[in-house]
Amino acid sequence: MSFRWRDNMQLYLIMLPVLVHIFIFSYIPMYGVIIAFQNYYPGKPFFSLHDTDWVGFRHFIDFFNGPYFGRLMRNTFLLSFYFLVFGFWVPILFALLLNELKSGIFKKYVQTASYLPHFISNVVVAGMVLSFINTDGIVNAIVKLFGGTPVALNTEPGYFPAIYTITSIWKSFGWSSILYLAAMSSVDPHLYEAAKMDGANRFKQMLHITLPSIRPTIFILLIFAIGNLLSANSEFILLIYNPMVYETADVIGTYLYRDGLLGGNFSSGTAVGLFISLLNFTLLYIANSLSRKYSDYALW
Amino acid sequence: MVRGSTMAASVRRNPNKIKQGSVAVDIVLYALALFICLITLYPFYLVVIMSISSPTEVAAMNVFWYPKGFFLDSYKLIVSDTKMWWAYSNTLIYVAAGTLLNCLTAVLGAYPLTVRTLKGRKWLVAFLLIPMYFGGGLIPSYLLVNKLGLYNTMFAVIIPGMVSIWNIILVRTFFTTIPDGLKESAFIDGASHLQLLFRVILPISKPILAVIAIYSVVGIWNSWFDALVYLPNEKLHPLQMYLYRVVVQQSVDLKMLSLEDTKNAVANMLSNIQLKYAIIVFTTLPVIFTYPFFQKYFIKGALLGSLKE
Repeated sequence: MSFRWRDNMQLYLIMLPVLVHIFIFSYIPMYGVIIAFQNYYPGKPFFSLHDTDWVGFRHFIDFFNGPYFGRLMRNTFLLSFYFLVFGFWVPILFALLLNELKSGIFKKYVQTASYLPHFISNVVVAGMVLSFINTDGIVNAIVKLFGGTPVALNTEPGYFPAIYTITSIWKSFGWSSILYLAAMSSVDPHLYEAAKMDGANRFKQMLHITLPSIRPTIFILLIFAIGNLLSANSEFILLIYNPMVYETADVIGTYLYRDGLLGGNFSSGTAVGLFISLLNFTLLYIANSLSRKYSDYALW
Repeated sequence: MVRGSTMAASVRRNPNKIKQGSVAVDIVLYALALFICLITLYPFYLVVIMSISSPTEVAAMNVFWYPKGFFLDSYKLIVSDTKMWWAYSNTLIYVAAGTLLNCLTAVLGAYPLTVRTLKGRKWLVAFLLIPMYFGGGLIPSYLLVNKLGLYNTMFAVIIPGMVSIWNIILVRTFFTTIPDGLKESAFIDGASHLQLLFRVILPISKPILAVIAIYSVVGIWNSWFDALVYLPNEKLHPLQMYLYRVVVQQSVDLKMLSLEDTKNAVANMLSNIQLKYAIIVFTTLPVIFTYPFFQKYFIKGALLGSLKE
């Protein structure tokens, strides 16, 4: 046995537990996707190629022709789209604002405070939101204060996208600003000095020095946000929606949990999951190609 | 307004005196920052003051800015809730086991990838990267966990999550920054890879291990979905799942807690909603008090992760 061989053996042994785990918990479920093309029910041979009735693309076709397809696709897209349109620029503006503050305790406090929602669990945030939008919650109390009539925020489908979008922005804007702040901190201070000499005021400095310094970051994050346009946060939606607002709140992820898992429709649920993850991968692939083309950053 | 226009005029007249002119701008910027800060924190503040105000004021929605009345019985009730303490201790088990396993597997998975003589390294990296973009999805994973006999056991939420490919990549990036000289001198002394890893590399890898540990702790502390899917047995539920049942599903009637106190008129006045606020505060306090200290590790992780490999 050569030294090299024994050496490699040792390294593979070190990695073995990890490799086995990834094989079992990542690759076997990937293979398990074949049940999307079968009529699988519990008790049948596990992820088997034989002894099963293959149904081809029937589950996919049923889903496309089903009553919920349009609604699910629309909601999945719109909720991410609203978050992109109304939320994408918030962390940028916030980072620009922080950058104008003199470093000190105040700036640190503001920054730390803005991170708080990121560390709070979805369940707690959902609990707070649900009690605030209740008929006798704070939002309606404020509405009454200004002489309005209380609205059923939690049961009226029209309000759900706004509630989801505002909460998502509130939860993420502070944390999302750190990448921009990091990019800003790498700007050479001499640039600002030189600009001052040339008579540029603060706004102009921001426009011509700070903003260009984060332009690549903005660009890359925007491209990947577009790549995420079909991945609404279903884990959070699951917490704050209810049957009365399904019209605007039900997304692929929540439907998959409800109908596929709880309903026991394992094969059709897997088909729905496969369909959406293929779409998502396509979007990500396009985003990555764009990013590779227009900046030097790419995921792979 | 007047001050603003004279300021602008002076800037125009003497462009080099920007600093004098920017005081007004500074005030606006600081006020804006303070305002954003208050908006972010207000929901938490509101929950806290509602949880300690008198129940009648809370029920009438009179509490906006400061607590009205003072009432701690909701907290007394919660502290006596054995189900909550049970969930608390479950969470501690999940956090401890998950964090330990995550750190261990990240180190074991990362080290071999940094050894240049390792054969098939390219294939191993591909093996690790593919699952980051493709996955079987919820249902095949669910069926697998069932088949392995993990369903409805504590292992169902510990074992599937004990390896994070993301962590392996973070640790690998860190390991490659360790100078080769250190490793070579250990080999000259006849150390094996495992000895090198645990005696030489790990002691200087504390910064990256801290990042991974903190990520795991917070991630596991806040997670609930796995428990929703895999743990029908309430006795195994983590804290977030208990919260989910109380606050979202409303399947735990908190007033039942006060069974012994039914004759106590005050306890009956407790509105269910106030109890919910109290329980939110009580279960979130550990995070609120500790996150200012561990946020720097999070920032480090986020910045490391965003770097191109």
